[in-house]
Amino acid sequence: MLKTEKVLHLKSSRGRKVRVVREHYVRERVPCCSALCQAGCANEDKVLPGDVTHYVVPDVAVVRDFLEVLEFRELRGIVFTQTACQAIQHSRGRRQYNRLRSLLKEPLHECVLFCNEFQQHTYCPRERDEPQEKWQTRCVYRAAVWYHEHLAGLMPVVMITEDPDAVAEYSSLSTGVYVISPQEYLQSFWPDVQAAQELYSSIAQALQERESEGQPREYPEHLPAEILEPGIKAGRYIQGTVRVNKHRAQQEAFIQLEDSTKSTEQGADILVWGMKHRNRAIHGDVVAVELLPCVDWRGRVTALTETEGDERTGEELQSPAIPTARVVGILQRTWRDYVVTFPPWEEVQSQSRNSQRILVTPWDRRIPKIHISTQRAEALQDHRVIVRLDSWESTSLYPNGHCVRVLGKAGELETEIQTILTENGIQVPPFSEAQLREMPVNSKENPWRVDPGQEVVRRDLRASHLVFSIDPQGCEDVDDALSVRMLPGGARLELGVHIADVTHFVRAGSLTDLEARSRATTYYLADRRYDMLPAVLSADLCSLLGGVDRYAMSVIWELDACSLAVRSVWFGRTLMRSSYQLCYEVAQSLLNEEPAEVPELSPLAEEDRRERLGELKQALAELTRVARHLRTQRDQGGALELEGLEVRAQLDADKNITALVPRVPLEIHETVAECMIYANHWVARKIQESFPQQALLRRHPPPRQEHFGPLTDSAKARGFHIDTRSNKALADSLDRAVDLHDPLVNRLLRVMATQAMSNALYFSTGSCPQEQYYHYGLALDRYTHFTSPIRRYADMVVHRLLMSAIESEGAAEPVETPANNKGLEETARHINGKNRAAQHAQKQSTELFQCLYFKDKDPLTDPRCVAEAVVYAIRANGLLVFIPRYGVKGAVYLRNRENQVVDVTGDGSCQWRPGSLQRFPDRICCVTVGGATHTFRLFDHITVRISVQVSRCHAGNLHLDVVSNRALEAPGPDRRPTGKSGTELVQEVVRWAEEASQQAEEHGTVSRFSKEEREYQQSKKPNLYCLLQEIRELALLDESNCQGPSLPSS
Amino acid sequence: MAGLELLSDQGYRLDGRKPSELRKVQARMGVFTQADGSAYIEQGNTKALAVVYGPHEVRGSRSKALHDRAVINCQYSMATFSTAERKRRPHGDRKSSEMSLHLKQTFEAAVLTSLYPRSQIDIFVKILQSDGGNYSACVNAATLAVIDAGIPMRDYVCACSAGFVENTAVVDLCHAEESGGGTVMSLALLPRGGQVALVQMDARLHQDHLDALMEAAMTACRSLGQVLDGVVRQHLQEVSVLTAE
Repeated sequence: MLKTEKVLHLKSSRGRKVRVVREHYVRERVPCCSALCQAGCANEDKVLPGDVTHYVVPDVAVVRDFLEVLEFRELRGIVFTQTACQAIQHSRGRRQYNRLRSLLKEPLHECVLFCNEFQQHTYCPRERDEPQEKWQTRCVYRAAVWYHEHLAGLMPVVMITEDPDAVAEYSSLSTGVYVISPQEYLQSFWPDVQAAQELYSSIAQALQERESEGQPREYPEHLPAEILEPGIKAGRYIQGTVRVNKHRAQQEAFIQLEDSTKSTEQGADILVWGMKHRNRAIHGDVVAVELLPCVDWRGRVTALTETEGDERTGEELQSPAIPTARVVGILQRTWRDYVVTFPPWEEVQSQSRNSQRILVTPWDRRIPKIHISTQRAEALQDHRVIVRLDSWESTSLYPNGHCVRVLGKAGELETEIQTILTENGIQVPPFSEAQLREMPVNSKENPWRVDPGQEVVRRDLRASHLVFSIDPQGCEDVDDALSVRMLPGGARLELGVHIADVTHFVRAGSLTDLEARSRATTYYLADRRYDMLPAVLSADLCSLLGGVDRYAMSVIWELDACSLAVRSVWFGRTLMRSSYQLCYEVAQSLLNEEPAEVPELSPLAEEDRRERLGELKQALAELTRVARHLRTQRDQGGALELEGLEVRAQLDADKNITALVPRVPLEIHETVAECMIYANHWVARKIQESFPQQALLRRHPPPRQEHFGPLTDSAKARGFHIDTRSNKALADSLDRAVDLHDPLVNRLLRVMATQAMSNALYFSTGSCPQEQYYHYGLALDRYTHFTSPIRRYADMVVHRLLMSAIESEGAAEPVETPANNKGLEETARHINGKNRAAQHAQKQSTELFQCLYFKDKDPLTDPRCVAEAVVYAIRANGLLVFIPRYGVKGAVYLRNRENQVVDVTGDGSCQWRPGSLQRFPDRICCVTVGGATHTFRLFDHITVRISVQVSRCHAGNLHLDVVSNRALEAPGPDRRPTGKSGTELVQEVVRWAEEASQQAEEHGTVSRFSKEEREYQQSKKPNLYCLLQEIRELALLDESNCQGPSLPSS
Repeated sequence: MAGLELLSDQGYRLDGRKPSELRKVQARMGVFTQADGSAYIEQGNTKALAVVYGPHEVRGSRSKALHDRAVINCQYSMATFSTAERKRRPHGDRKSSEMSLHLKQTFEAAVLTSLYPRSQIDIFVKILQSDGGNYSACVNAATLAVIDAGIPMRDYVCACSAGFVENTAVVDLCHAEESGGGTVMSLALLPRGGQVALVQMDARLHQDHLDALMEAAMTACRSLGQVLDGVVRQHLQEVSVLTAE
């Protein structure tokens, strides 16, 4: 079976040439991974389909330079050779190689790896004095020919190579194997994949540019890894991640150290000042820095900057000097796709003589401008485009990149939404055919039925239990339902939480599962949402709708009827039918013994209805009693006040106007939330006990005390003392900090407390010591997410874990667990990342809508642009304020660019006068030349005017100006109830966008792009978002608590 | 080129073998006539020469002699040209003393020493070319040499190395795999009875994986045993043809 041959390699290690002899074994049978295989190769997992027109074998140079083109899913039937893979690994390093590896593993992309060097007939030893490239091309060609012969000539094989000599040499050697250049290949075989061709030409041009460069140096060279690594170990250099300050991207960057132990020792982060010292590092890169001598250290700027290039930032505006360093080498680039905006054509022409090489500005302010070589600059002016970085030579002021995809014209709603998604690394293509094929069918002609086999395995609750769900009005994806009943005898109470059984429909490893994993969560943007699962599951078969049979995962407790202590708990799969699909308001009125309309009961006869109603009321009352008990238990442990959390998290996470709705606080909200928290907690206990090394839990680490600084300082200004030593103390002192005249004070304090919190994270129990499992916000020792599998992937993982925990109990030998610790930790990290991205995207989309709302209003005349604001922090040249009406936070400058300060006249209105500012911890004084002084204090109410600062390249900003130092008096008749305005804002903007696109259509110039995007838009009704938002906030309050303070620190 | 990929996603090792495949083994017995027994073995690129003298009376100080069995004296050395860089290798350095000791222990377990009281058996092994698995090549060569010398043994002693890469046990490691920093286990087995003559392992390994690794190494030793058996039979056939003439 084996035949040995020996090859000689000349290899240099540590500079010296060493002759190394390696064996090389070749064999007859190497899997060809093709569905057409006649020889019965042992093809496993991934096979190339037989229905493509040809197979394509790219040569080494093509794989190395144009891998991105080959990543297009439209290109099918790609055979990567081992020769090419190894060449990539050697010449392009691990990153590129891993990318190729993950491409090969990706089940949706039809490409395989052929180990040609281990195949007897395709292996060709390198001849003496043969250039490497020639040898590699020969190997690849041999592989292509072998493929053709192996498949008995059924499939033509195309080899693509950049080398014209190879084309000339090989193209006529054998029939059925064609050798052409990639450009020709794309044009003739994939003429309809325009994007691939564009990407190809943009990379080719970028490559050409790079070759023709040769200018004086702009930056010092980076040190090689051989010097950096010992240097880091010896302490000469410090390793860390670059975090660029968004507001001063040109000057300030900080180095976040790898491990927190070192950072406490160093006091704080390390500053890198200016682009020269940053030495081509880009936000997010892992770098090595060298500290500068102490005399060169400088402080961070504390003033608010309006525009960049503010030269007057004197020394008095700086904090004390902190360690300052310069970047000496880059250990790991973390370049991603960036969205950039092309400049207008006139600007391009005036800017440089070479109009094919242009400078574009990224949307993210932290990223420097990028050089792009393209011939389409004129067509793309003012468009947003995704680019990738290629290199940043020391000779160039800016990095080089190439275009990947055009998003659309800047300023259009769809473009901006796509920009936000791309910048957060969110990919939400429509569900593919193959994924939808996996879904069960539920249509009118072919309704879905309960499988009789499942009826046997599952515990049937349809007859025995009164199950009902409580959700916001109009909700269609019902994750959870509740049941409560007194057990016969009256000594025990049975409480049940029933969660949609998503994992029954979505098998682990199926295409839908892979897609759900990669999305990790349902994305909620201001006007739409992108579902994690296809609609047939999320809105229908998994949703626990009223009056239909559904599969569920249930947690059922038996409680002592009096003391409510848990006697026993049961987990398992059930079959249930929800009797009532209540909404919160109805449930609350039932609870309060008020008249309420229950739609399910209306067709019944009077007495029947009364009896049923009584039953339901009884259940609700029991539920409330249990929830109150649970709540008190957790309160004693130090849980942070949920009601407060709810408000401040809303404020913080999305800054949305819905956030400050003076919502009628219904007890039923809390009841449902409490049951869910309880279920999550018990499931966490169960899976942690069954799988001590590999359970997915959620922890909320205690916040770092120094983050509470702004909170305690602000509270002191109002005379409150905030005790932050433990979560209980914090909760209590926040409860006490209530100003009777101004309810906003307490809310703002809670916002600040939330900002101090760390993020709650998913983790695998094997990778974290047990004392760190604690959930700070909820005051529980173990916690996980179990109750919303329709919109969170973590819950699906937990469902699977719980199922294997239950199965392993019954079985004699241990059932295999779904994932090991390493894999689970990987999943947890992925979900955490995606959750963060989802929050950022949501926040940014809300901000986008705020800007669009105010954009076409004249700030001077429109009364909607004037609003009341509360000061919550003081800076050197201005204030940070919060506008309750719109839920907007922003900066107000007290000094303008002409160095004038705000002067307050007698009636409270403000104007600019020459003068100076004086800053104190709790107030700021404007002193004009005339001698008049005015003081702004913390928690003062002022009036501001909102206008939009339009920016071509970045997201727009709201700009606030002081109008008066008093609160806005006599709200105009047009002032709406604040609760509505959020929805209306979104609606108005959407309407505006639709009108705009209609107009464009009339002119016949609607872009192809926006049509496509409209298909992606999964929810047409903008206000559905609000409903979903509410589910999110209400069903799992803890989540908003945990995820709220995810604002970037810089 | 930090860290070679020792096991590819397709399940191939650096040199094209699957995890459970051995390198090519070629061996000859009776390569020298001066010694009582001798053998030469190639396991891939690792080449070893073994010669056996004895049993003979105890040389040197008589006090070493044991009254109930033979003394086994092993000496291991590496040729100066055995590695990529020429290097003088003095006798008695730590590495070779350790290896000598291991060989001695292995063969004390296998040779029926009690048949030759108050005598000595010398086993000298030299690595001519080193490419990983030196110990196993030495043991296998010495086994053949001992058989060539006609000294009775309980069974063949077969040795093989095994390592653990990406949750897979790989056997018969080459030099590149050995120097990769992972676990390396050397195991000497008497295949017929399944007794382990020697196990040696450096670097850490999770306890859960030990059984899998041992099993892989023992399977490899068994198949090596078959190869050695074939070599011995072949040799005997040749020799008997010669003597018949």
